[in-house]
Amino acid sequence: MAAVAFENVSKTYDGKTSVVDNLNLRVREGEFLSMLGPSGSGKTTCLMMLAGFETATSGEIYLGERPISRVAPQRRNIGMVFQNYALFPHMTVAENLAFPLRVRSFSKADIAPKVKRALEMVELAHLGDRLPAQLSGGQQQRVAVARALVFDPNLVLMDEPLGALDKQLREQMQYEIKRIHDRLGLTVVYVTHDQSEALTMSDTVAIFNFGKIQQLAAPDEIYETPCNSFVAQFIGENNMFSGTVCERSEGFCKVRLANGDEINALAVTDAPVGAPTLLSLRPERMRVDPPAGDDWTITTGEVIEQIYVGDHLRVLVRVFGHHEFVVKMQNRSAGNGLTPGQKIKLGWRASDCRALDAAAGQAGAA
Amino acid sequence: MMSGMIADTRPHAGELDGVKRRRVLQQYRRSQRRDCLRALALVAPLCIFLLVMFGWPLVTMLTRAVSNDDFGAVLHRTSVALAEWDGTGTPSERVYADFAADLRQAHDEQTMGQVTSALNFEWTGARSLLMRTVRPLSTEPENGWKEKLIETAPDWGNPDLWVLIKRLTQPYTSRHFLAALDLEQAVDGSIQGVGPEKAIYVTLFLRTLWVSAAVAGLCLLLGYPLATLLARLPLKTSNLLMMLVLLPFWTSLLVRTTSWIVLLQDNGVINSMLVWLGLVSEGNRLSLIFNVTGTLIAMTHVLLPFMILPLYSVMKSIPPSYVRAALSLGASPITAFWRVYLPQTIPGVLAGTLMVFVLAVGYYITPALVGGQSGQLISNIIAYHMQQSLNWGLAGALGSLLLVGVLLVYWLFNRLTGGQGLRMG
Amino acid sequence: MALPAHISPMGRLAHYGYLIFCGSVLLFLIAPILVIVPLSFNSAPYFTFSREMLQLDLSAFSLRWYRDIVQNGMQNPNASFGWSYLVDSWNNAQWIHSLKNSFVIAIATTILSMLLGTLAALGLTSPGMPARGLVTSLLISPMIVPIIITSAGMYFAFSTMGLTGTFAGLIIAHTVLGTPFVVITVTATLEGFDRNLIRAGLSLGASPVRVFRSVIMPLILPGVASGGIFAFATSFDEVVAVIFLADYDQRTVPRQMWAGIREQISPTILAMATILVLLSIGLLTIVELLRRRTERMRGTTL
Repeated sequence: MAAVAFENVSKTYDGKTSVVDNLNLRVREGEFLSMLGPSGSGKTTCLMMLAGFETATSGEIYLGERPISRVAPQRRNIGMVFQNYALFPHMTVAENLAFPLRVRSFSKADIAPKVKRALEMVELAHLGDRLPAQLSGGQQQRVAVARALVFDPNLVLMDEPLGALDKQLREQMQYEIKRIHDRLGLTVVYVTHDQSEALTMSDTVAIFNFGKIQQLAAPDEIYETPCNSFVAQFIGENNMFSGTVCERSEGFCKVRLANGDEINALAVTDAPVGAPTLLSLRPERMRVDPPAGDDWTITTGEVIEQIYVGDHLRVLVRVFGHHEFVVKMQNRSAGNGLTPGQKIKLGWRASDCRALDAAAGQAGAA
Repeated sequence: MMSGMIADTRPHAGELDGVKRRRVLQQYRRSQRRDCLRALALVAPLCIFLLVMFGWPLVTMLTRAVSNDDFGAVLHRTSVALAEWDGTGTPSERVYADFAADLRQAHDEQTMGQVTSALNFEWTGARSLLMRTVRPLSTEPENGWKEKLIETAPDWGNPDLWVLIKRLTQPYTSRHFLAALDLEQAVDGSIQGVGPEKAIYVTLFLRTLWVSAAVAGLCLLLGYPLATLLARLPLKTSNLLMMLVLLPFWTSLLVRTTSWIVLLQDNGVINSMLVWLGLVSEGNRLSLIFNVTGTLIAMTHVLLPFMILPLYSVMKSIPPSYVRAALSLGASPITAFWRVYLPQTIPGVLAGTLMVFVLAVGYYITPALVGGQSGQLISNIIAYHMQQSLNWGLAGALGSLLLVGVLLVYWLFNRLTGGQGLRMG
Repeated sequence: MALPAHISPMGRLAHYGYLIFCGSVLLFLIAPILVIVPLSFNSAPYFTFSREMLQLDLSAFSLRWYRDIVQNGMQNPNASFGWSYLVDSWNNAQWIHSLKNSFVIAIATTILSMLLGTLAALGLTSPGMPARGLVTSLLISPMIVPIIITSAGMYFAFSTMGLTGTFAGLIIAHTVLGTPFVVITVTATLEGFDRNLIRAGLSLGASPVRVFRSVIMPLILPGVASGGIFAFATSFDEVVAVIFLADYDQRTVPRQMWAGIREQISPTILAMATILVLLSIGLLTIVELLRRRTERMRGTTL
């Protein structure tokens, strides 16, 4: 039995375009699921439907066994952390935390220890008497998390909670939230548009686009084996180039590029011979001066530019005619320098080059 | 583990079939309607309250402006009789008889007042005429009423008078609006200007307009520099100085106007000080009050906060980086002010100016107390007609014209400020 | 305000001229109000500073006009100060009578305005409100329509309803004039209101009524109170509607001042005016404190 289940859920506002399109999703108990996608992809709407602030146009949402479409938000017992925290400005931190407990008619004697424990969990034990306006952004964010947990819900929803924080604070909070999740065994549904956040924190990632889940998988699977060109482009860096399928065999296919070269690629798409395809190749999978091997594709390229990033180098190389590839090289030793104009050998495993559907970036252009 | 390939990138997947779409639209429209009704229910109490207690009074004023009051009701028999009269020559005996009967009844029931005042406004000497005529009405005449009435006063034989009376027995009239614009309807029905001795209202409207414009201009002149200073000062100082602007704003209008009487009188504080300083000789004290000057000074003082507050609010939101950018690009401080700062304050200028203008046009108390004769504005004459001359029709007409004018300016104000106008700082 | 070294002498002159100009405008604003305060203590029945007053001769100052406020109209003004003196004054003194009426009418107006105005503002800022700009303009129009027109119209209409010469009629008239202020201030507060707070309240388990009581109401209360104070001040200061609609029984302080200024000018008016100025200072202080409180809480609402 799943903790949360979406069954054929759709949502439309005007009857013409679907914001959420026939969604099916099951979240296990204790799972940390991230909903990742660009703006307008429907992820926040899904969260809002789960919380009860939007109603599905069709389909049903379940919490455990219970269908909740007709259950008012205040009765769903779900903790929620909002993007702008929504801390009650006229109440102190302690009063904010006590609010859900008072609403549930807890006695004063029961409320105090729970509030204390919640504050300790986010390491703000000494700030109970402050007003939210007197706290920093990071502290407010923690209070928001504590408030969503103080009444021991089983499910916690988070709507891009770290968006307003600076980079260092964000990374720290990511770690904190993950730690709390592991310690309490909560089910968390987390909406974000920051892919590194989703990849580092989640057990499972659901990639959204145009109201549909494009891929639902663990972070490594999403990154290593994106199932279509949208996911490939959305997650991580990518070299994308197009070609035509000229031969298909066991899980692989031969693709003819614009300049006539033919290379081997992993056949993810069903595209038949003669159909167009989009190839995806991750920058860190390419090697300069590659070893020889059957499954290695080797080609020559001309260095355009080298950018020093500190822990790695980004090299822009012209290959296959006019394509410009980004190659990531670890900065193993000083004096790695490649000069513009230099001719180098570039290689990668054929299985690292994925042949995907050709409609990348235009999904939903209709 | 629910990993896998739930990939569906078909672009047209978001469309619904016909039946479903209709149901969805229905649901959507229903929830929209619910929201709409909830909002309207909240606004309804105030709306109904204002409609009955504010809207309807305004309507009654408008109806007064076009009604002939109860002239026709008091002279009810005469109105019916006059309906058959064609307007040439003198009316028939029947009319005179009915007229006499109506006058007697009106005299007995003490409803003569409306007849008298209405007629008196249009026909000089009508009041004494009617007074004279009422007395002999008690005795029945031998040769008929027509002869008796004309014998009592020859005016009753004047067809023009009867044309006028017939016109006045109509339920609706344009004479109030005409009078408000210094026009009148001649006996033959054409519209003409009233004589120069009677033509005061257009002058009053114009005076109201120019005084209001002058007050708005003065407020802008005095208020703009001050608002700029307040917007530039650090918050603590400006809050303190703002108290000096807000205290007059919160002080009773009567108190402020009283202060000006005290200050501006001939033997008031200012004149006494000028005499003491030797700038003005004893006999030549400045006449600063009970004239237009007094009205201008006092109204500017009263309305200045209404100019400063919107200006300050707009100026506070202009980041100083714009002017600094202009200076860094080589502009002189004056150019930077004129070409960069000033244009950004225009919304505040418009809001403040129009607000002051609209309020000034309707002002009553201040001109009444300090305006003397030459500083009276249109509101004062409306009050006069309401309370003293009891010419409610004319009061209504003047008020209606004033209202239309004010609403026009208010509409203009709303257009130019995008509906954001009325913020109290 | 030390000027930077690169300003020319002409620039300095202009700058100081500008400051002097602004100072004069501030003086223009505040002087009339301040000048009547010492004059209300003038022991002679004049409206100017007597020579003795300027020399700060204490005998030139007296409280006689303040005493007149308490005494004028009493049956036994010369009785010694005691309980019967106070009762006599409360029941019979003209100005006390006017003060009573002013407060009663103003308080009733304030309550009614806050009620109607807050409801209307809640409706205007609701998501489903149609023609919001138009309706707002209409609800605020009593502020714009010249008072003489409103009063004249009310006189005609209220006569037929039997509301002239009654407290109810006057309270209704003042509510019409005061409600726009409440609508403006509460609308402004609601526009800055973070809708997520409502969702947060619901998500934490509170019913919609509870959310209104615990979250919305406390946060809009400063706006409601500010508007209420504007309505109070408007009613307290209002004289034209009182002239047209009220009898002697409902005479208010401004009404009496009006009669005093036009008919029998006596410095008692200045004493009353000074008291009103103190009242204004009090109201202004309350509004300022409310504003500061809102600023302090503003921090979290993004």
